[in-house]
Amino acid sequence: MSARIEARNVSKRFGGVVALDDLSLDVAPGEVFGLIGPNGAGKTTFIRILTGFWLASEGDVRLDGVSVTRDRFRVQARLGYACEQPKLYADHSVDAFLRFVGGLRGLHGAGLRGAIGRSIERMGLEPVRGRRIGVLSKGFRQRVALAQALLHDPPLLVVDEPTVGLDPAQQIELRRILSGLRGTHTVLLCTHQLHEAEAICDRVALLDRGRLAAIATAEEIRAGAGLEALFLARVGRSAQAEPAT
Amino acid sequence: MIGRVLALARKELRQLFASPIAYVVGTAYVALTGIYFFQHLVSYNQLLFVYQSEGLGGGGFDQGTVPSHINVLNEVFVPAADDFGLFLLVVLPLVTMRVFAEERASGTDELLLTSGLRPFEVALAKHAVTYLFVVLLLAASAIYPAVVVSRAALGFEHLIALYVGQLCYGCAIASIGLACSSFTSSQIVAAVLGYSIPFVLLDFAWLSNAVSEPVARALGEIALLGHYGSFPRGVIELREVLYFASIAFLGWLASLTALELGRAR
Repeated sequence: MSARIEARNVSKRFGGVVALDDLSLDVAPGEVFGLIGPNGAGKTTFIRILTGFWLASEGDVRLDGVSVTRDRFRVQARLGYACEQPKLYADHSVDAFLRFVGGLRGLHGAGLRGAIGRSIERMGLEPVRGRRIGVLSKGFRQRVALAQALLHDPPLLVVDEPTVGLDPAQQIELRRILSGLRGTHTVLLCTHQLHEAEAICDRVALLDRGRLAAIATAEEIRAGAGLEALFLARVGRSAQAEPAT
Repeated sequence: MIGRVLALARKELRQLFASPIAYVVGTAYVALTGIYFFQHLVSYNQLLFVYQSEGLGGGGFDQGTVPSHINVLNEVFVPAADDFGLFLLVVLPLVTMRVFAEERASGTDELLLTSGLRPFEVALAKHAVTYLFVVLLLAASAIYPAVVVSRAALGFEHLIALYVGQLCYGCAIASIGLACSSFTSSQIVAAVLGYSIPFVLLDFAWLSNAVSEPVARALGEIALLGHYGSFPRGVIELREVLYFASIAFLGWLASLTALELGRAR
């Protein structure tokens, strides 16, 4: 159960600022796909358009053929989203928060209890399921964000900067979890960590100033000089050439 | 749809009662309404005493010595209803200011609006929970008026009319506050707007000398106070209920528009 993403000529402008410029890309079902790029490259903008949070100025993104512009709620039903710096309700316990999200996702009764149990087990949240989210460590909060995103077992998981602020052990654990979804779920991973994208992604798209600068498979990256070299070759020089502000 | 709205409404209730603001506002409102209601009752008793004293020579206090306009309705319920309305206007923006603005500021609106919730469901759940809070607030403050109504054999229709009016008025004020909260991520801005707009809408009498008569009449038609007066007298008029329902609906529509505009930013 995985999903195909097709983005066609997607642009997003905020007044005179172009955040995303004519971006087209495809993500195959079951793929772990990485979006990398410097700050302001348009990664989060693309994710917010894909999830239906923002409207594209031009172009469209389709999930299994369903247009996010025309029917964002059908698209949202097929995706789970863990955004950057988990946006959670600190006053809820983990259990109550997952019950709340399950309710939003149309789960109830035994189905909801089962989904919460599976999500908690998958993310290793059992020791903290009764604790308030506000007192949890960053790593556990990140896991709660992933648990809510996977609660309704969506074909597509969209994750924005999942390992920011985590200690190395937590980073390894999260990467293991995301890698484990390969084949059964499509994963769109937005990250600043080049080694992370290199380690777990089947393909990586490099965005720069809202444009698609490069796209490479894991094999191509490994056969070449690595993602860092690709980044420096396509983005690094232009980034360095930017005037200091 | 119902399941999603209920899930969000439960979350809103949990958040409302997890914070001290609901208890502080509730206590302040019940205390203020209790004190002022009691004060009007004392004043009414003093009036009765005055009339009783004047009539002592003629046989003491009886129906004949107290003018008909001096009654518990005119001397207690009508002025108390004005005070209650003012107190609602003072306390409700403190509750409504955080409802949408906090979600925006903390970024949890992104979680809500990407999890399949329709914007109208978000607006519906948040408005409904705030109206429920208004109901609870009014119910807690109804004890003294209920005792007086039963002791004065006034008829419970007066109490019901008074509280239907309060409910209509409170929901309209809350709706304006919620609309203000939905356009900003700052709770301070939401509170300032939530106070300013109802105060401006309260009464346009101060403008009557500066504008032409038809304009003054039109402004009088949309002023909140002009539609509130019949309820404490025990009269529930459909057009007044519709007036307040329209304001509540417009507030909900404004919240919905704010959510949709956020998407097209």
